[in-house]
Amino acid sequence: MFETLAGSAAADPLPDGDLAFARLLVGAELLAADFYTQAIAAKQFGAVTQKYLAIALQNEQAHYQSVSLILSGAGQTPAVATDFNFSYPGGSFGSRRSIATLGGKLEAVFLGAYLGAIAGIQTPALAGPLARIAASESQHLSLWETELDGRPLTGAFPAPITIEQVSDAMDAYTS
Amino acid sequence: MRVGVLALATLVAVLGATGAAARPDAAPSGLTVFAASSLTDVFPAIDKNETYSFAGSNTLATQITNGAPADIFASANTTLPAQLYAAGTVEKPVNFTRNRLVIVVPKANPKGIKGIYDLTKPGVQIDIANSAVPVGSYTLSILKNMGLTSQILANVVSQETDVRTVLTKVSLGQADAGFVYSTDAQTVPGQVTVINVPAWAQPKVTYALAVVSKSPNQATAQAFVNEVLSKAGQAKMVSYGFLPLMPTVTTPAPAKKKTSTTAKKN
Repeated sequence: MFETLAGSAAADPLPDGDLAFARLLVGAELLAADFYTQAIAAKQFGAVTQKYLAIALQNEQAHYQSVSLILSGAGQTPAVATDFNFSYPGGSFGSRRSIATLGGKLEAVFLGAYLGAIAGIQTPALAGPLARIAASESQHLSLWETELDGRPLTGAFPAPITIEQVSDAMDAYTS
Repeated sequence: MRVGVLALATLVAVLGATGAAARPDAAPSGLTVFAASSLTDVFPAIDKNETYSFAGSNTLATQITNGAPADIFASANTTLPAQLYAAGTVEKPVNFTRNRLVIVVPKANPKGIKGIYDLTKPGVQIDIANSAVPVGSYTLSILKNMGLTSQILANVVSQETDVRTVLTKVSLGQADAGFVYSTDAQTVPGQVTVINVPAWAQPKVTYALAVVSKSPNQATAQAFVNEVLSKAGQAKMVSYGFLPLMPTVTTPAPAKKKTSTTAKKN
């Protein structure tokens, strides 16, 4: 994964639009990692779910490393967590349900962001790795949907969302 | 003579009580401080005894290079002080604060602008600083970061020499939107509406200051630098909306795998 993305970025200069998607996704992954860190620290779940949250956190950190390579391969410096202030509505981590509600909202944005990026990028070589990350985000979304209403499966064709919609959604949690 | 000695002793005692880095506020020290326009309000609040010249950092750098009688150069970026340091024009610069950019629109907001993507719409008139001045360079970075350079530059109708001119024009309704520092936007709260630039697209806006090498007031100038860097100086910067200097930068490392769990609730 890393090599594929870095190689894609290094072989030819990526268009600004593709780098914008990468920058957005780096921010999304940092938000995701912060959310899972706080969700784990809240200790609202039992051992099995806590373990799933830890795996999800590892996944998000691996995604971050991966999409960061698109930027670093293009000679740019990816954002790090300290570049952001993360904030959540009061009580977001106060109960299993509140965490699951927030997790479901965020993962729907992350999944839509990757699907939107796949639809919007101009560099075909990026599509495969981004699709693999989208599949991982879909698993995370399923975790939260199961937690919320016991139904792990939803629609057959999750919808992409635009970079503008993702950006607006992230504005609620990042500054 | 004895009176003179007592007066000196009293002065020393007073100075000692005010702290090592600070200088007495009673009398002007005579420093000439060349500072970025965005520091117009906060620097006199930190030290009201100096003579300030506020303008675009690039303009000030050129003036100092050409021999203008400045003691201090405070820039809205780190690049210009570094260039002057490399040329031997200033002493080693130090970073002293950070900032972020926002979009301002007139209070009436006739174009109904709610976010940065609205600036791509036909007919929106945008004012920015020119690319030579730091805020103009940062603005271009944002546009590039978001992949919006061509769309938004197509709507730029004017480019200014400093951030305060952008703010003034927008507040007067002479443009539909402009990019300024968040600290500048706060100075005219009733006249503009502030719209955030997404955090993921923000450039790193770091300010640096340095003592001018030819300054005849090296010690006093260094004391001014220390005053800005002091706890009180930094608190004043934050109270005017500036951001504290970055903590140590770290990247998230993959978490260690959990080796054992105990089923409890689930």
